Amino acid sequence: MRPTWRQLAGHGVLFAAILLLPLVISDFRASQFAYVGVFAIALIGLSILTGYTGQISLGHGGFMAIGAYVTAILSVNYGVYDLLTVPLGGIAAGIVGFLFGFPALRLAGVYLALATFALAVIVPSLATALGDRTGGTAGILLELPTSPIGALSPDKWLYYVTWAIAIVLFAAATIFVRGRRGRALRAVRENEIAAVSAGVSLTRYKTLAFGVSAFYAGVAGSLYAILNFIVAPGTFPITLSILLLAGLVVGGAASFVGVLAGAAFVQFVPLYAGDVVGRLTGIGDRIGLPGGGFDPTTPGVPSVVYGVILLAVLWLAPRGAAGLAQRLGRILRIS
Amino acid sequence: MSRRVFVLVATLAAVCTFSVTAASAAPAGQTANPTGTPAPLRASAPGVTARNVIIGTTLPLSGPASLYARIGTGMRSYLSYINARRARDGSRGVYGRQIILNVYDDQYNEALTVQQTRRAVEADRVFAMLGGLGTENQQAVRGYMNQRKVPQLYVSTGLSEFGSLHRQYPWTIGWQPDYVQEGILLGRYVRQNLPNAKVAVLRQNDDYGREFLQGFLAGAGGGFVVATETYPRNGGAAVIPGPVSRLRASGADTFLVIATPTEAVTALVTAFRIGWRPNKLVNSVAATTTFMGLAQQSAGSPEAVNGVVTTTYLKDCNSPAYENDARVRMYKAIMARYAPGQPATDCLFFYGMAKADTFVQALYRAGRNPTRASMMNAVRNLQMPSPWLIPGARVITTPRSAFPIRHQKLARYNNGNFTEFGTLQRTR
Repeated sequence: MRPTWRQLAGHGVLFAAILLLPLVISDFRASQFAYVGVFAIALIGLSILTGYTGQISLGHGGFMAIGAYVTAILSVNYGVYDLLTVPLGGIAAGIVGFLFGFPALRLAGVYLALATFALAVIVPSLATALGDRTGGTAGILLELPTSPIGALSPDKWLYYVTWAIAIVLFAAATIFVRGRRGRALRAVRENEIAAVSAGVSLTRYKTLAFGVSAFYAGVAGSLYAILNFIVAPGTFPITLSILLLAGLVVGGAASFVGVLAGAAFVQFVPLYAGDVVGRLTGIGDRIGLPGGGFDPTTPGVPSVVYGVILLAVLWLAPRGAAGLAQRLGRILRIS
Repeated sequence: MSRRVFVLVATLAAVCTFSVTAASAAPAGQTANPTGTPAPLRASAPGVTARNVIIGTTLPLSGPASLYARIGTGMRSYLSYINARRARDGSRGVYGRQIILNVYDDQYNEALTVQQTRRAVEADRVFAMLGGLGTENQQAVRGYMNQRKVPQLYVSTGLSEFGSLHRQYPWTIGWQPDYVQEGILLGRYVRQNLPNAKVAVLRQNDDYGREFLQGFLAGAGGGFVVATETYPRNGGAAVIPGPVSRLRASGADTFLVIATPTEAVTALVTAFRIGWRPNKLVNSVAATTTFMGLAQQSAGSPEAVNGVVTTTYLKDCNSPAYENDARVRMYKAIMARYAPGQPATDCLFFYGMAKADTFVQALYRAGRNPTRASMMNAVRNLQMPSPWLIPGARVITTPRSAFPIRHQKLARYNNGNFTEFGTLQRTR
């Protein structure tokens, strides 16, 4: 399917917005949107695996961790320029992902989810155990980011680097899922037996999808390490993998808009969930609602907010942000 | 030199000399003013306006470590009290400024600590960060805070490098006695009271466990430890029984537990269940009446925890010995007023309040119109008694030594309470 001029124009506008955004925001906001780019890369990869091929993964935080550790070890212990390590982080994670595709052949549904979940558990534990190389629980501290271009602050430099990689990888993913290969991947998702009888090799396509998807996660992990300037087992908790899957659900089908929405969800909800209740209790106290004086810093409050937001999204937009955008588009066209 | 230039230079010199003498003559915390009235409050630093001082802290409000959020509640409650009460100069807050503490949830995840700290500093423009939790978390932002020259005050961890690396990181400082000091005190106890002890050590497999044991060996003078076992950080209860049975098999008669609460409680319970009855030494982070009660309940016998020896530096908010202590009563009153419904028996709140008080005292000494540099200067030159600490203990920092609390005592647990014993000891 060739993209319509309308789709091209839409993407052109989006890319222009991404290009111009740093001109109007602070360094801090630029760094936050750089993280959105990182999660966008991870979600593009996850959508190839889960969205197109139907293989659920609760282990993408583990693949990100692999990329991050490759970057941290190469740049800190071996003095390699950090951005040069990004493709290597992707390749390392991609190889692990490709190999992981083989056991995944025998597993489906919940069982596959559990197996990938194990990966999310194992990688941080392994990093703890290999203390000499990985810094153990303390992890590895990277240099604070710098910018090679005088006119750009380090944050804005990393913003552009991240988004340039994200856009290239998005284009690559679009090509990857097109044509014969895309049809084969979707056939695996819809019905494995039918796919095999139509001559699709499950081994080939599942391992391929796992490998490519993990490569994306590894690249995201490498960039995440550079932005955070720390890599430690604690920076890749199990919840990160779940959050990524939630981001995919929130974003919806594999469109760039959906990926952006999902990535924004992954980036901003954990950071700001705690504030929502603070704002609400503030308003409640002002207009005299009962339950006044509730301490918004009570433990557990952010998790509840996160759950409520997730439920609200699923209720209001069951096909994710992309589905919502399509629906809005249709409504606008009719009127 | 023309006459005009000469006059200009002379005037400048005179002004400089005057302001230097005036500044040095001013009493601590006061800005000189010829008329004798205090200088007007102004926006003297990021996060400091004429009305407010905004500070931040990062703590886990979600996830497994979220019990530590109580430190933040303690700090907030105390600052609410400071903001409402009238100080000796007649103003509320500090010099009439309200102290606002923003609490940021970092889920105990270093990546989020970095982002939330950046948010506090760059978006919310806090004056300083206070009491951020976690060794690794605070190490992660230390370089950033020092590059930006933002005070990273009284981090909530006992790793000694937050005090010892003050030349490299002049904007960073810890608060409580570090793990080395704690270890030294327990080591001295063994040397003096259990000269024939055979000590088995269970420790966490990281810097915390490592340097605590170093301190212990230094205090004991070497030669006591017969066996050491480690467990991984955040290992939980499951990773403890194996090492404990191996330690018992070593034939040791004294058990040193260097572990976070869940693991330490499990270690005590396991030792009891397998019939091991050693002398028990437990690090202070796990030795609270709450956790001892849990261990007793789980083991089904007070014998599992009675006799536990630990170190202490704060007044025990539960101890009958301090029931009538003015500061502990004040603590309970503040909890009742500003954190109703929270269990004031958990001394983590007390810890938070004590820490917030050290901050308030330092802020007073940073001057009527504080800057980040004057704040750091005050923090690094603070010598004062503190009614939150055990009697006789003082907060002491000097330009050459950045360990605010360095007085400790031993305490022994028996039937629901810790009782202090021995003399007040200075460990740095």
